[in-house]
Amino acid sequence: MDGNYIALAVALAVWVGLFVYLMRVDKRVRKLEEKSK
Amino acid sequence: MWWKLVIFAAMSGMIIAAFTTPAPQQQIGESSRIFYFHIPQAWVCVLAFAVSMLYSIRYLRTRRLEDDDRALEAARLGFIFCILATVTGSIFAKVTWGSFWNWDPRETSIFILLLIYGAYFALRGALEIEERRAALAAVYSIFAFLTVPFLVFVVPRMVPSLHPTDSIVNENMKFTMGPAVRMIFFGSLGLFTAVFFWLFSLGRRVAHLRRRQLEYED
Repeated sequence: MDGNYIALAVALAVWVGLFVYLMRVDKRVRKLEEKSK
Repeated sequence: MWWKLVIFAAMSGMIIAAFTTPAPQQQIGESSRIFYFHIPQAWVCVLAFAVSMLYSIRYLRTRRLEDDDRALEAARLGFIFCILATVTGSIFAKVTWGSFWNWDPRETSIFILLLIYGAYFALRGALEIEERRAALAAVYSIFAFLTVPFLVFVVPRMVPSLHPTDSIVNENMKFTMGPAVRMIFFGSLGLFTAVFFWLFSLGRRVAHLRRRQLEYED
């Protein structure tokens, strides 16, 4: 069961990291789109 | 903005449920939890290659380079999800069969699929004239997708394989999963699909900006 919690922590960390990265990219793309209008 | 937060909360909930509820297939054990991630990744891989083929057909009809950009973006994402499905499959193989790679029919067919789409990117990289590259890549993408149903659904079922075949439905096409497993599994399938469309939309917008910049520089 301990292995499950380690895997859970790793999977959540990967997901949170990916989400934060995607939100940053999204924000940057939106800024560039506004600039290029 | 709100839908991204919904995806974040739902995916976090799905991950927690995937590791804290009983294992989906008791006879396989704890390693069967990978099923919540591996099958949705394989599904998104097929979906992305289908989207790539649809934009390739559209490019051949309209000759708009934006459609070629979209076909490329979908193929890139399909390739990434194909690698992810291969890696999670290998982890499952190591735990269950004792080796990361066994040249099982399912492993061999996904390896061939990776080679076929790897050649798509090599083809694109080898051609300099944009219109020619887009046209040839579009034709290649259509033919490449024709192999996907055979490699993913047909070939692995034609020969004996170690790969579990009754994870979703049994031979009578009845669901083998209990209600809780079904909810987590289909939730995961939907969420991975949503993440794919988010990534695809981002890639499409970046390609559009790049194209506008190139037009401005010309």
